[in-house]
Amino acid sequence: MHALVQGVILGVLTGGVYALMASGQTLIFGIMKVVNLAQGAMVIMGAYLAYQLFVSFGLDPFLAIPITTVVMFGLGVAVQLLFLRPLRRDDKSELSLLVTFAVALLLEGIMSVTWSTTYRSINTSYANSSWTVLGYQITAVRVWAFALSLLALGLLFLLLNRTRFGRAVRATVQNPESARLLGIESDRVAALGFGLGAATAAAAGSVYGLLYPFYSGSHYDLISRLLSIVVLGGLGSVGGAVVAGVIVATSSAVVAATVSPAWSEMTFFAVLILVLLVRPQGLFGTVGRGAI
Amino acid sequence: MSGSNRLRMRRAALVAVATLSLISACSSSPSSTASGGTGAASADAKPLVIGASVSLTGDFADPGKAVKAGYELWADQVNAKGGILGRKVELKIVDDTSSPTQVVTNYQNLINQDKVDLVFGPFSSLLTVPASQVAKRYGYAFLEPAGGGPAVFAQKLDNLFFVQPAPVVKSGDIFADWILSLPAADRPKTAAYAELDDPFSAPIAESIRARFEAAGITTVYKEVYPAETQDFSPIMSKVAAANPDVLVSGTQSEDAYAQVKSLVQLKFSPKFMFMSNGANSPVEFPSKVGTANTAGIMSAGDWFPGSTATGAADFAAAYIKAYGGTADTIDNSSAEAYAAGQLLEEVAAKTGKIDNATIISTLHQGTWPTVLGDLKWDSIGQPEGAFHLVQWQNGSLVPVYPTAIAKAPAMYPKPSWGG
Repeated sequence: MHALVQGVILGVLTGGVYALMASGQTLIFGIMKVVNLAQGAMVIMGAYLAYQLFVSFGLDPFLAIPITTVVMFGLGVAVQLLFLRPLRRDDKSELSLLVTFAVALLLEGIMSVTWSTTYRSINTSYANSSWTVLGYQITAVRVWAFALSLLALGLLFLLLNRTRFGRAVRATVQNPESARLLGIESDRVAALGFGLGAATAAAAGSVYGLLYPFYSGSHYDLISRLLSIVVLGGLGSVGGAVVAGVIVATSSAVVAATVSPAWSEMTFFAVLILVLLVRPQGLFGTVGRGAI
Repeated sequence: MSGSNRLRMRRAALVAVATLSLISACSSSPSSTASGGTGAASADAKPLVIGASVSLTGDFADPGKAVKAGYELWADQVNAKGGILGRKVELKIVDDTSSPTQVVTNYQNLINQDKVDLVFGPFSSLLTVPASQVAKRYGYAFLEPAGGGPAVFAQKLDNLFFVQPAPVVKSGDIFADWILSLPAADRPKTAAYAELDDPFSAPIAESIRARFEAAGITTVYKEVYPAETQDFSPIMSKVAAANPDVLVSGTQSEDAYAQVKSLVQLKFSPKFMFMSNGANSPVEFPSKVGTANTAGIMSAGDWFPGSTATGAADFAAAYIKAYGGTADTIDNSSAEAYAAGQLLEEVAAKTGKIDNATIISTLHQGTWPTVLGDLKWDSIGQPEGAFHLVQWQNGSLVPVYPTAIAKAPAMYPKPSWGG
């Protein structure tokens, strides 16, 4: 029982971080119908930027987020303008897979050359501290990571629901043709949307670097989890990504704690397949129109 | 497919290809190095060319470079002394990109095209297995400093010599030796095992477990975890709940750091703690887990700073001169590669000859002093010695057992975290 509760605590806290990473991924899909295979590499890039700022200037990874999100937002916009916009609309979905995978490889190569292929981790003074609550150990850094993820997701929610840009994004997701007819510049929305997705990756990257050791090849592992979370939550649904992120992380932590770490990944895929059998569109996906 | 469609398709493919080639251009630079020693080797004697394939890119790039550094350091030193039997040593080192197919091509080229006189081994058991087959086919002696897994010895090659004190699976046995040498009242009563599912990790812990169980130390928890495991909190919470006297971890590197961090966060500190790998990394380990948290953790090692083994002081001085840093930052892999060179010198000094058949028949007999200590081999190249037990004390790795090489008595029980 103790192990189960400890597993749930760990899973929920970790789930918040996965939710943040996946929200950018699902947003990009919602707006452009592009499956961004570079999202994992962007998260790792964000982690490296936070690492470098920490090592060079002693800047705390949480405080580095305003800087890294801006840099990665720019990178995201550039990727969209340079590589994705030239693709023709009718076969964009298929080609974008190839292009975003190439972007992932490009980022991996740049990271390998810049930081070599050894594992890095961001060791802040509070990296190993924890609180004891009712006999359970609550790790400080995970609590901060969870809080930061909630904050970032909250900001994303406000941006999508309370601003003109957000309304344009939602309109594009729901019906791109009508949105264009009503004067929404879909190219601009797409570029900003991709930038926004990259910015969430940067924020998540800071947190990821605090929680786990990483190297340039870590993105392969990450993207497979992110894709699963996005599919489970429903492609294009930010709320779905949040719920799915928590489900994934909790199920894998609980199984690792109570059964064996060897089964934790497997259990998650079993859940994914079961959900898709009942709801092929994912937990919160819609069949007809898009929704965020 | 319309023309414009095809064009766009091609553009997309070009981007992918360009990306790939950019990456490979950035990361791979096959190098061949001729060592520039200025020894007293007689000018007319033919140089002794030694070929080796080492991973300079790919998964094993970092340890591969450490191996290369060891080979080159040895070659420079031996040339400064006049070479081997008056012949200047020339190294021909090529990059295998950590690939088991490239390594085969490399050794075939070194032996058939470059017609090198001798070869040294690559990094990792994965690459040593196919490479040693090539060497065997052409009758080359295969001194290899970094392939000690079971698959290497399963080949039963008589031309192979693993230049480390013991096969990988037995590298932790020294910890069992030490524990069982303690007075019965001081020995742990219960043990937990956390093992990475990898041929170089779990078997080390299993070998210790067999010894402990035979000696009556009860196993209270055992878990084998997959390589993808990121979060060690669930495993370590179960270790803490089982409350063992000793924790034996069959680890590689990152998993060792993560285990320690989780234990610190869980505030559980066992009386004895041994980690097969990761904890023996002199620079990485303290930087990843915090120096104060290293105190009392044990691991296994062969070369160590301040070693009095044959040539160890010269090696350390030359290494620092060539590559900078301190004795504490010298990679074990460099020392092991250097030892492979020392063996050649000793064979030449003993027999007056330096050819593959002589090396093979000579090394199978007797004991050979190196920077790693005295080495000897059975008929299939398995070393028959033991690693040293090392322990973190006051922020550095100190050899503590066997007593003959110990620099300080082993400290137990392990202090609690942070000091």
